[in-house]
Amino acid sequence: MGQVYLEREEEAACVIMCASVKYNIRGPALIPRMKSKHRIYYITLFSIVLLGLIATGMFQFWPHSIESSSDWSVEKRSVRDVPVVRLPADSPIPERGDLSCRMHTCFDVYRCGFNPKNKIKVYIYSLKKYVDDFGVPVSNTISREYNELLTAISDSDYYTDDISRACLFVPSIDVLNQNTLRIKETAQALAQLSRWDRGTNHLLFNMLPGGPPDYNTALDVPRDRALLAGGGFSTWTYRQGYDVSIPVYSPLSAEVELPEKGPGPRRYFLLSSQPAVHPEYREDLEALQARHGEAVLVLDKCTNLSEGVLSVRRRCHKHQVFDYPQVLQEATFCVVLRGARLGQAVLSDVLRAGCVPVVIADSYVLPFSEVLDWKRASVVVPEEKMSEAYSILQSIPQRQIEEMQRQARWFWEAYFQSIKAIALATLQIINDRIYPYAALSYEEWNDPPTVKRGSVSNPLFLPLIPPQSQGFTAIVLTYDRVESLFRVITEVSKVPSLSKLLVVWNNQNKNPPEDSLWPKIRVPLKVVRTAENKLSNRFFPYDEIETEAVLAIDDDIIMLTSDELQFGYEVWREFPDRLVGYPGRLHLWDHEMNKWKYESEWTNEVSMVLTGAAFYHKYFNYLYTYKMPGDIKNWVDAHMNCEDIAMNFLVANVTGKAVIKVTPRKKFKCPECTAIDGLSLDQTHMVERHFQHFRGRQWWFSACLYWIIKATQGSIY
Amino acid sequence: MQSWRGKSLWLALSASWLLILLRVFPLLRLAVPARPWASAPQGWPRWLDTELLPSFSQPGELPEDAPQPPQAPRGGGCDWGACFDASKCRTGGLKVFVHPVAGPISASHRKILASIESSRYHTASPEEACLLLFLSLEVPAGECSPVPQQWNGGRNHLVLDLHPAPCPQTFQLGRAMVAKASPTVDTFRPGFDVALPLLPEAHPLRGGAPGQLRQHSPHPGVPLLALAEERGGWRTAGTDPSTCPWDGRCEQDRGPEQTHPGGTLPNATFCLIPGHRPDALHFLQALQAGCIPVLLSPRWELPFSEVIDWTKAAIVADERLPFQVLAALQEMPLTRVLALRQQTQFLWDAYFSSVEKVMHTTLEIIQDRIFGASAHASLLWNSPPGALLALPTFSTSLSDFPFYHLQWGSRPVGRFSALIWVGAPGQPPLKLIQAVAGSQNCAQVSDRFFPHRAISTDAILSLDAHSSVTTSEVDFAFLVWQSFPERMVGFLTWNHFWDEAQGGWGYTAERANEFSMVLTSAAFYHRYYHTLFTHSLPKALRTLADETPTCVDILMNFLVAAVTKLPPIKVPYGKQHFEATPPLVPGGPEPQPTARDCINQMAAGFGYMPLVSSRLRLDPVLFKDPVSVLRKKYRSLEKP
Repeated sequence: MGQVYLEREEEAACVIMCASVKYNIRGPALIPRMKSKHRIYYITLFSIVLLGLIATGMFQFWPHSIESSSDWSVEKRSVRDVPVVRLPADSPIPERGDLSCRMHTCFDVYRCGFNPKNKIKVYIYSLKKYVDDFGVPVSNTISREYNELLTAISDSDYYTDDISRACLFVPSIDVLNQNTLRIKETAQALAQLSRWDRGTNHLLFNMLPGGPPDYNTALDVPRDRALLAGGGFSTWTYRQGYDVSIPVYSPLSAEVELPEKGPGPRRYFLLSSQPAVHPEYREDLEALQARHGEAVLVLDKCTNLSEGVLSVRRRCHKHQVFDYPQVLQEATFCVVLRGARLGQAVLSDVLRAGCVPVVIADSYVLPFSEVLDWKRASVVVPEEKMSEAYSILQSIPQRQIEEMQRQARWFWEAYFQSIKAIALATLQIINDRIYPYAALSYEEWNDPPTVKRGSVSNPLFLPLIPPQSQGFTAIVLTYDRVESLFRVITEVSKVPSLSKLLVVWNNQNKNPPEDSLWPKIRVPLKVVRTAENKLSNRFFPYDEIETEAVLAIDDDIIMLTSDELQFGYEVWREFPDRLVGYPGRLHLWDHEMNKWKYESEWTNEVSMVLTGAAFYHKYFNYLYTYKMPGDIKNWVDAHMNCEDIAMNFLVANVTGKAVIKVTPRKKFKCPECTAIDGLSLDQTHMVERHFQHFRGRQWWFSACLYWIIKATQGSIY
Repeated sequence: MQSWRGKSLWLALSASWLLILLRVFPLLRLAVPARPWASAPQGWPRWLDTELLPSFSQPGELPEDAPQPPQAPRGGGCDWGACFDASKCRTGGLKVFVHPVAGPISASHRKILASIESSRYHTASPEEACLLLFLSLEVPAGECSPVPQQWNGGRNHLVLDLHPAPCPQTFQLGRAMVAKASPTVDTFRPGFDVALPLLPEAHPLRGGAPGQLRQHSPHPGVPLLALAEERGGWRTAGTDPSTCPWDGRCEQDRGPEQTHPGGTLPNATFCLIPGHRPDALHFLQALQAGCIPVLLSPRWELPFSEVIDWTKAAIVADERLPFQVLAALQEMPLTRVLALRQQTQFLWDAYFSSVEKVMHTTLEIIQDRIFGASAHASLLWNSPPGALLALPTFSTSLSDFPFYHLQWGSRPVGRFSALIWVGAPGQPPLKLIQAVAGSQNCAQVSDRFFPHRAISTDAILSLDAHSSVTTSEVDFAFLVWQSFPERMVGFLTWNHFWDEAQGGWGYTAERANEFSMVLTSAAFYHRYYHTLFTHSLPKALRTLADETPTCVDILMNFLVAAVTKLPPIKVPYGKQHFEATPPLVPGGPEPQPTARDCINQMAAGFGYMPLVSSRLRLDPVLFKDPVSVLRKKYRSLEKP
């Protein structure tokens, strides 16, 4: 591309030169007499070079020419230059909001129909300036925050510039703050949008609803069926499952640096930082302060500040001056009291400071309450019970308080800290409603990253002992050891609970023996021929596997008797989410080598069982084949080794649980073995288990590698 | 002259060309790099004067907005803060009084009354109660049940309304909450009303049928979809994507399908349930069958939606997008299908399988509202064993419970307390104390009855004065317990069986290949079970246990098995103790008749037999392996 530039610049330079020729011949006195044609020719040539150089230099250092290339695709204009739209006084007004709207009645889901990625497409109307008949503007064209919000949507995956494919429409008419609006005219402006259609699938963002004297809790602009993302809904105006409750953005979020403060005791137990509190409430708060002394701090706005000090950033108690919002970090609990509006920007500041908000605003619908679990980060106190707030809070144990503080900060970081975060969370909520099968889970919304990292959600969490009648499927991986394979088959087929035998024939150069040569067994026997000699074929989720329990067994494991295998199956039934195997191995951290090592000696612990003979749930076959992290599967196939370590890791990683080792023992008679069912009299089966479960994520691969190196030196089997 | 004219013309031309190019040049420059993104969206413009734009709120406007006095609840609408007086409940906890019902009542109502009376919240005096329950009766059309005497404008009242067509608006609800079966979305007040499931008439009082799921993953032969039919049955449909089973538009090519008569449970992976209210009955059927409910634009509120996260067990889809929904169901990853299936079973077993569970869940929800910050966390409601068995009064920290270590990424505390029960005063069991205190994990030992609060560790080693255990047995058992903190880990076991001859349950201490109970005379368990034992078991069962000492063991095992749905764990126990301490096994091979009664009474009290049998014992890894004794960690376990 640089190439293209250069050529163009020289072309331009040539043209500039041609003009300068004209001036040059106008000054004949300065130029030595030459043959006129030649003179012009040389001057031309010289000027080309000179001007070319100048031009190149100029464009190189032109301030706008060194911007990143991606910005060049975007138009740069002034907000003042946007087209003006005149609204006639009698243009239509939408109806007032329909309170009975639900997604399946008011939302046109067909518009979101064609979307394979389960992501809604959002269109933003272009910016216009609306004026009434007299040319008086309807509102401020756009506020900084709304511009930021639309930019965030436009930069996200949701955005589309194709109006016909859009599922959600966002008007560029800024209604964030109702105070700056002329209500009727704004409604008219909405109604003339090209796809308005009674507001279907339109999304309006509003943070400061209502106006004096009664301060409605939802935007007063008539908006018909449009969805409203509002910051201050009460339960009376909020349409559950249709509207979205959003926070009131606090401009301090961007202005002030406030690093996270760790858990630990804070100076004040309860703090009220809002300057404008209704006198009745202030009396209540001051009564609390009087009763509990130092632990409660009630701040007010400062009256005697010197010039030039931002009053927004200061709070006072008597004559003491505090920095706001820093003072919030000194308190464990912070009061978020409703003012005229239910939604208060102070909530955002409080969360940011890691102070647990005490929300005193009856019927307030907390931001994003559809998905966020506010019980984990806040305390809601009814307005009537304000005087009891202190005792309510004191009953909360310290550990829970710390949990709530962490959660509060996490909410701020994820959903409050910028206009962008607010906009994307809103769209995600709407997206989740439209594509519920792809929705984010409670944990994804609410668990802070530290919890997400540490937690394991076992895919087989239901405590369930599968019925014995189900049986298991044995999968024998073989290459060409037919004789020993037949012995294994014969032995395995004696196991009472076997329901099917699957032989995975991994040899492409040789056909499996003819049907008549196979041992005759009482259960169906199937031979699967593979396309490639890969170890992963053992763990492929074959359609032939109909039982949940799978026994993976090598074609050379002839030492296990059918009783031992049956007992292994019994054990698996009681631990269906674990690997149940016979030969065990241990992984150890070698301090000298600073590496993981693999131990097959007799030790007191086991962390792996070999999959040469192991029972497991067939779901792990699916995981191994399709969900194995990284490149491990290919690596295992390429090196023809390590597959049992990979499987052990996979299961331990996914379930967070250890393996079970079953030890066959022929010579020992146990006193408890008075057989009442299939177990034999003269054998005892002991279960061994290990106690160290491992769940590494980062060292997964390197550990496996190291083991393989070690294993190839001859220590595995 | 001619050449001058030609030259000046040429110059003028080139000059104008230059001017044009100078203007065009910047545009060209813009156009060139734009080429690769030619198809990319134009996006919202980057305004040059972004910095000059005004903020949406003026500094000072936010905090300064005009204060206003408290508002009264408007338009008769009620929410929790405005209409419920929780102050009465704070002192004495949730106490529920049921208004006596005049006139004949149906069987289902009787069950409801019985289940509330058996709950720990019930009180007989209306003065003491903070919640008054009023059962709205089935009355002839047009009439309404009369308002009870202490109605008080409906304040702190819960009106139970189990019938799909209750008496209409004529009933003056006042400030009462309504607990209604499958309420319509429009009249339901979230956070105030309670949505109940639509129960069939024959729903059992307690116990209830267990979930039907027998395996975690769907059987390969099972059809993908079952569709609820109006007559009450289920119809299974093929997996052909061209069929849209609920939409009339593609009625003609439905593919192979079967119709099942009403009453049977669907056998499919997904159950499509239309959104009309009468179909809510299908919802519970699907839940019980482990068939993932796919609700098509439901017009009714899902049961207990306030606390149950239905996105984990059901799919609420839009009926207007049949093809999309079908495609999404077919492509749903196995991991999600597994999770949804298992969750349906857990929810069924925890909250819906009996009338008692449904009623207790209702009360628990109201209790949670009163508790506020110390209510059940969402995880407690939505993961096994469920909120009815995880008491928030025990702790608000999840890692204190035995059930949530995996989800919370925590581990049980590596210490235990030994609790030794000494019946008669006498010589303290010094040898035993010595053996137990020898374990390095032992945090405290006491030979007297412990007040529960003094136990500071998660694990409790419960012992009898007669027990004799060695240090390494205790150590190993504790190690095992740490891997199974929710189960009981013990040394001596009993087994239960169904006695055909007597027509009841029996149990035996005989050594057999199976066991289902461990004796608390030597067992590890989580201290949470003490709380559960004292606070959640019905009073009748506890008195029974107090009267017959052997019953305590049985009751404890019943309780743990009912919570975990899994058998206890047996660990090796030195051989000599068997001979040495025969009195450890009360009852011997032939338990006394009282004890036999006990297990049957327990089973009746629970409504079902929760015990699960196991056939295995956990041994240390090198237990009796042919290696040198010196290499073994628990070598003393093997001494003959």
